[in-house]
Amino acid sequence: MEKMARLAVPTFESERETAIEAVGLCKSFKTPVVAQGRFSGIRSLFSREYTTKEAVRDIGFTVEKGDFVGYIGPNGAGKSTTIKMLTGILHPSSGSVKLAGVDPHRDRLRCASRLGVVFGQRSQLWWDLPVKGSYDILAHMYGVEDTDKVRRLGEFAELLDLDEFWNTPVRKLSLGQRMRADIAAAMLHDPELLFLDEPTIGLDVNAKRNIRGFLKILNEQFGKTILLTTHDMDDIEQLCRRVMVIGGGRLTYDGTVDGLRREIGLPTEIKVTYRDGYALPEQRAGLTIAGAGLNGEHTQNEQERDSEGRATANGFAMRIVSRTDSALTVEVNRQEVRTMDALRELGHWGEIEDVEMREPDFEEVIRRVYG
Amino acid sequence: MNGQRSVDRRIVLRNYIKLYLILIRTSVRSRMQYRFNFAFGTLLAAIIQLSEFLMVAIVLAKFGAVRGWTMHEVGYLFAVMTLAKTLYRTFGNEVHNLERYLVEGELDQLLTKPLPVLLSLMPRGFRIMFGEVIQGGAILAWSLGAMLHSGQVTWWAIPQTLFAIATGAVVLFAIGMATATCGFWTTRISMLQNMTEDAAQTAARYPLTLYPGWMSGLLLTAIPVGLVGYVPALYILRGELGTWVFPVLAVASCLAVLLALRFWRFGIGKYQSTGS
Repeated sequence: MEKMARLAVPTFESERETAIEAVGLCKSFKTPVVAQGRFSGIRSLFSREYTTKEAVRDIGFTVEKGDFVGYIGPNGAGKSTTIKMLTGILHPSSGSVKLAGVDPHRDRLRCASRLGVVFGQRSQLWWDLPVKGSYDILAHMYGVEDTDKVRRLGEFAELLDLDEFWNTPVRKLSLGQRMRADIAAAMLHDPELLFLDEPTIGLDVNAKRNIRGFLKILNEQFGKTILLTTHDMDDIEQLCRRVMVIGGGRLTYDGTVDGLRREIGLPTEIKVTYRDGYALPEQRAGLTIAGAGLNGEHTQNEQERDSEGRATANGFAMRIVSRTDSALTVEVNRQEVRTMDALRELGHWGEIEDVEMREPDFEEVIRRVYG
Repeated sequence: MNGQRSVDRRIVLRNYIKLYLILIRTSVRSRMQYRFNFAFGTLLAAIIQLSEFLMVAIVLAKFGAVRGWTMHEVGYLFAVMTLAKTLYRTFGNEVHNLERYLVEGELDQLLTKPLPVLLSLMPRGFRIMFGEVIQGGAILAWSLGAMLHSGQVTWWAIPQTLFAIATGAVVLFAIGMATATCGFWTTRISMLQNMTEDAAQTAARYPLTLYPGWMSGLLLTAIPVGLVGYVPALYILRGELGTWVFPVLAVASCLAVLLALRFWRFGIGKYQSTGS
């Protein structure tokens, strides 16, 4: 009967189920001003002076079921604070959160039983127990049936190679092993929604790949909604369909990864080697040639560009960043000119022997975003 | 509908109790991995307890009695306080140690679990405090034994004393929890604990008549450590007050813990966590 009733709901709505809804989230922290001088300890205790730090200001977004969202921003931008508000750890100063329609602050217990949370810097496993022991306790805690527990752990063990340290006390695990064990622990009760705060921090390449593979499967095959914070841009590029950028407590970008790349508009770099040198043309319209070859001027140029920030990317079509006798390195603004046209132009200046092209690094994109 | 809900509640409660026992077993197992630390800690605790009582004993031996309270009576106060505190710390030690969770942000993990924070917090610090139990028990046996022998008290004193220890532990727990809750605002609580827990408990090992009126008043109301040993001793040992002392102790300790719990719930909403 119940199934019938569920089927009756139009698919239109079930497809657009919201997993996370955050409205106008703000969080400010009050820290008492530490008094200086005599009896400073006692005086701070009774002091009414506070400094208020606004960690998160007016953040709002919705995440739909099945999304994979990356949440990035420099240290201290408010990432962790946001995650803690979303998971019910911190109460927002104002604004509201709904996880699948439930407020994690009003109804923390109900929400917690549907959430998986992993903090990269902390473990939720029992330090002195074998890995297996922690899973037994968690299964009791979340009311997971034995058959489900065995089945899920079997799957996780295969995907995350848990077998090799199944009976090792958690305190003796390597960081990579611990993280794998922690992620499995967060998924043991099969939550629909998974929050990960820097899950790949400090891991080596293999461990990162292993974890990314697992998260991808969770998202693509099991339809889990995942939100992760990270400083590793490969995480974002390989996993996330959507990226949100936070800076100074505000949401500064919310969209696709490609969109972010476009918005920043970093130029493509082309290095052209000429067979018999080249001849620079006179200044032409639509072609900025900066940097006359002297190193000093070149640096100055670089600084100019940096200080002007993002907007400058839109001002030119092509410019020279450095040159030697036989080679030129130019930046091409793809918003103004197509790469082919730029190459054709470069071909006019001499006989090209070799061309190297470098797309802007995502790392670099983020550096711009972080400011 | 209502019936259904109460059944649900009962299932939840039963699960909580089961889980509590599992978590306690886990802490004991974890602790037993460090046998030497456990054995040494127990021994050390016993020595500390003994030396603390020796201090009191020296004072008593020198002056004979404190404001009309005999050596055995003061020994009784000391023992009841020790045992009540031991009981509180056996089950509620992590509430006392909340500062560590606040400073290191470990409370975050507990808040992501579908359990009341106290339920995940308390079993973590569970330990059997042999040193304190033996020490407190020995002093209690010595003082009650002497008073039984002299006919000052009857055998009834034993169950009455056990009752007083139990309600006393609840009172101490309530004070500890209320103090710890302040940590949600101030983060650091050890200074406050020195006052509301350590100093207050030490003070209440002596008859409250020793102190000026405002202070004994404080120790019976705001920080009601006087309810742990002093008030029951007035009736059990000295026949003052009346049997109504026991229901009053029961009600007062329940009230204290309910108030503390309410404060705790309010405080958790103010938790600030730490950066990561």
